[in-house]
Amino acid sequence: ENSPAPLPERAIYGFALFLGSWFGFMLYLIWAYVPETWLFSLGLTYWPQKYWAVALPVYLLVAIGIGYILLFGINMMSTAPLNSTDTVTDNYAKKQQQKKFQEEAIPALRDIPISEVNRMFFLPEK
Amino acid sequence: MEERRYRSASGARIALRRRQHSASCRELAVRCPRLRLRSLSAATSAAWLAAYGLFVLTENSMVLSAAIIITLVGLIMYLHFVKIDQESLLVIGSLGIQVTSSYASGKESTTFIEMSQVKDVVINEAIHMQKVIYYLCILLQDPGDPQGVSEVVPLFQSSKPRLDCLIEVYKSCQEILEQRKTQSS
Repeated sequence: ENSPAPLPERAIYGFALFLGSWFGFMLYLIWAYVPETWLFSLGLTYWPQKYWAVALPVYLLVAIGIGYILLFGINMMSTAPLNSTDTVTDNYAKKQQQKKFQEEAIPALRDIPISEVNRMFFLPEK
Repeated sequence: MEERRYRSASGARIALRRRQHSASCRELAVRCPRLRLRSLSAATSAAWLAAYGLFVLTENSMVLSAAIIITLVGLIMYLHFVKIDQESLLVIGSLGIQVTSSYASGKESTTFIEMSQVKDVVINEAIHMQKVIYYLCILLQDPGDPQGVSEVVPLFQSSKPRLDCLIEVYKSCQEILEQRKTQSS
């Protein structure tokens, strides 16, 4: 059902968005550049202040720049500290069921406790 | 009594000293690099140059005396609270594990964990800042759940030895911890 293939509806949505974004951009350029008196003479008086034509792009760019730093900071804050049990186990590992060991079958996938993993890695078997 | 040189996670040289007091008692101490005179003079010169620049700008001589006092107090607090000289681990088979940190000013802070609370001593990997580091930690037993871990106590936090040093410490600790399994069974 959910395939990324091109469909007629998607073509129509895409074209409508394309026209809408061009219209919006032209409107923004007209509002920013055309002097107020000309717009008033046409009868279009209810516009936001032209200050915003410069302020909004600047706000957007600064927000994007801060977003990089903010995302980095949020990532660092969400990292579990070294003394938390989240580095060793979690709810799914605690509640997992032990499947019975069958001969000549691949063992079932499970979370192996850290003590066992350490013994296997670091204590050489004689 | 054996001493070997290793490297910390950041590349500094550290030394591991192993002492066997008896069959069930071992002491493992990691000595961190000492405070270097170069870095100390660099930091002090930078701070005093900045203070002198500020003095030239503001023409206020209090800036200079404030910089001197701040440098001295900051150095004393750094040596007493931050700069760790040696971290040691004393594992006594039937009794417990004692963790000691000695600071550069001579202060020592110890923590003792009795053996019934210790589930295991393992090498764990975790994300620290922008790196993944190996660190040794003591897993404390959850009194209600024999398989569960109630707390993780990381060891050697400021010296941060690399994996080769940690494996040595791990093997020494496991030799002693295995004895309690054979004793109890």
